[in-house]
Amino acid sequence: MNLNYNEEQTMLREQIQKFCEPEYDFYKREDIVKSSADYDENVWKLFAEQGWLSMPFSEQSGGLGFGPIELSILFEEFGKALVIEPYLSTVVLSGTLLDNSTYNDRKEIIERICNGDIQVSLAYAEAEKGYDYLSSNTTFHNNILNGTKTLVLNGANAEKLIVTCVKDNIFNIVILDSKTEGVSINSFSTVDGQSCAEISFENVKLDETSVISSGENAIDLIKQTINLATLCVSAEAVGCMESCYTKTLEYTKGREQFGQPISSFQVLQHRMVDMFIESELAKSLLIKAMLEVNNRSDDMYKHVSALKSYIGKSGKVSAKEAVQLHGGMGVSEEMMIGHYLKKMVSIDALFGNADYHLNSFS
Amino acid sequence: MDINFSKEDSAFRDEVRDWLSNDYPKHVKEKTDNGITITKEDLVDFHKALSKKGWMGYNWPVEYGGTGWSASKLYIFNKELGLAGCPPILPFGVGMVGPVIYTFGNEEQKERFLPDILNFNTWWCQGYSEPGSGSDLASLKTKAVLRNDLDEDYYVVNGSKTWTTLAQNADWIFCLVRTDNSGIKQEGISFLLIDMKSPGIEVKPIITIDGDHEVNSVFLTDVKVPAKNLIGEEGKGWTYAKFLLAHERFGIAGVGASMRQLNRLKDIISKLDNPDLKRKVNDLEVALSAIEITELRLLSALENGGHPGAESSILKIKGTEMQQALSELFVEASGEYALMYPGPKGYENNDKPAGPDYAAEGLSGFLNLRKTSIYGGSNEIQKNILSKFVLGV
Repeated sequence: MNLNYNEEQTMLREQIQKFCEPEYDFYKREDIVKSSADYDENVWKLFAEQGWLSMPFSEQSGGLGFGPIELSILFEEFGKALVIEPYLSTVVLSGTLLDNSTYNDRKEIIERICNGDIQVSLAYAEAEKGYDYLSSNTTFHNNILNGTKTLVLNGANAEKLIVTCVKDNIFNIVILDSKTEGVSINSFSTVDGQSCAEISFENVKLDETSVISSGENAIDLIKQTINLATLCVSAEAVGCMESCYTKTLEYTKGREQFGQPISSFQVLQHRMVDMFIESELAKSLLIKAMLEVNNRSDDMYKHVSALKSYIGKSGKVSAKEAVQLHGGMGVSEEMMIGHYLKKMVSIDALFGNADYHLNSFS
Repeated sequence: MDINFSKEDSAFRDEVRDWLSNDYPKHVKEKTDNGITITKEDLVDFHKALSKKGWMGYNWPVEYGGTGWSASKLYIFNKELGLAGCPPILPFGVGMVGPVIYTFGNEEQKERFLPDILNFNTWWCQGYSEPGSGSDLASLKTKAVLRNDLDEDYYVVNGSKTWTTLAQNADWIFCLVRTDNSGIKQEGISFLLIDMKSPGIEVKPIITIDGDHEVNSVFLTDVKVPAKNLIGEEGKGWTYAKFLLAHERFGIAGVGASMRQLNRLKDIISKLDNPDLKRKVNDLEVALSAIEITELRLLSALENGGHPGAESSILKIKGTEMQQALSELFVEASGEYALMYPGPKGYENNDKPAGPDYAAEGLSGFLNLRKTSIYGGSNEIQKNILSKFVLGV
């Protein structure tokens, strides 16, 4: 048994940290959030140069062949820096789905993802379906797509859309250009500074080559992809939890009241200890989940659910505590700490919240 | 990364399981499986069976007759015994005073005391807490004064100890006593071994809220203790006590025992058609998994050259909270039958009450286990330790 990260993995983490610290500080992030664009094209190009956009893809597809462990490291560090670039939607949700499929043009699209030339979004959710992503009211009869998808992450920036739908009662996944006639996109800002879109398809004409997968294969593909994405956002939450604790500790050590640093008060110390403990326990569940996904074990869904339910609850608790211990500064938009709370809210909402995963666990 | 145990460790796990199915005394198993309180004789039989197998010195080095096990073997041993529902191994001899004696005692003391601990011929109890000294242990007042009569050096001990677990069964007590009042309080403490048959020792029961007699007050009045029963140097007792506490903390998360309780609860709740209870038990299963992997992470660090730091306080806090939460869910699962309470001795000495079997046992456990977050350095003290060593405040 060895639960320590190996040298290569540790170097990857340091590389990401070295990038995030100077290149992606909170003020830089704020500039991106307040700009008209949903993310920074230059940062995205830098991601490509670092090789991060190629990380999870198989070597046959031109990727680095890294797995869930490296993705978890990346997302943990993204969580600490509150990175808003659409890695999740383009690389994890869309890219790995394509990579695991037998779709004809997948290599070409993945190559463009690796180079940072294209954004792709996966439209998996529908308003009436809640967290059930394996059935759909969107139809694909006679090669004509009709229906409405909701909460499509980074949807407005996607050149290509991957859409779940039903053809003759059989679950299907299709891909199309977002500019195709009959596609209308309505974009919204999300609570964590990113964007998502509601996308309607009205008599959108496609052909047989648009089908990525159908039937049981399509269901498996969506299940695996969503599970991997759930692992990634959970890792992001684990990074947030660690930052909530370290930043709160740093703040209370510097903040003086009653003639002493407020970190000298036992009531605050014990609350920070609780934040530290929760962050460590969440890390433990992350290690278990990422190893299970890495081994493609039968229990991988169960352990991702365990992790997601845990971070959904304790992550929000830690972020709320962080805000409280920062006092008035905690609720100031200009301070980073409150943005972790927003991130936690968005992570809990994605791919099944804490209660959902607690119920589907076991 | 690899979360699996080595082939050697897996083989060891099979050996432990084999012992549990063949050599764990049947009459003890019968009782622990059915929630019946075990007697002193049962406990002795259990410990003697471990001695016979050579596993009593589970945490001792080979040179003193211990197993010399690696951290992962120790973990597997603890977990498997817990999963099988064994009573906890009494820590006072083998877990506490034994390591102090082989680390700080002289040759004569090692020869005199260690074999009896390994063979469970002596039952030890712990004389630490006093009525006025709980979390602030170093403030203890039980006084030992060195005398010499007819060329015999001895201490005269006066004071009282409290919360002394199973002192009613004990042959010996190891005590922290004050031998000096002049300097800072930690430096005037010494570590003394006292025969419980000595004149002047009186044991009075303290009945806890579960109705059981587990802990006691121990009064010491002019108790004469040979000076050769002093461990190490006079005034160094606090150092030995801290060493002992570090030893006590390993395995304190009680993961195996909690898993057993969790599995029983899942079984009970699966028959109740109550979604609230189902979600609560799922919640505990997730949290227990987090505790287990945290312990494995610590273990992995140990095996790769690290040492247990203040992080073991996490395991104390979360492990005991888990034991309490599980016992509370037994009570909740009992519904109205949580009213039924058979007293401390289980069904053996009482009519079997109405309601499900687990109701009364659950309540006894719930009340009894309140102690876990109080003893061994209360969970608040653990948080102080973490504040100091991890937060650096």
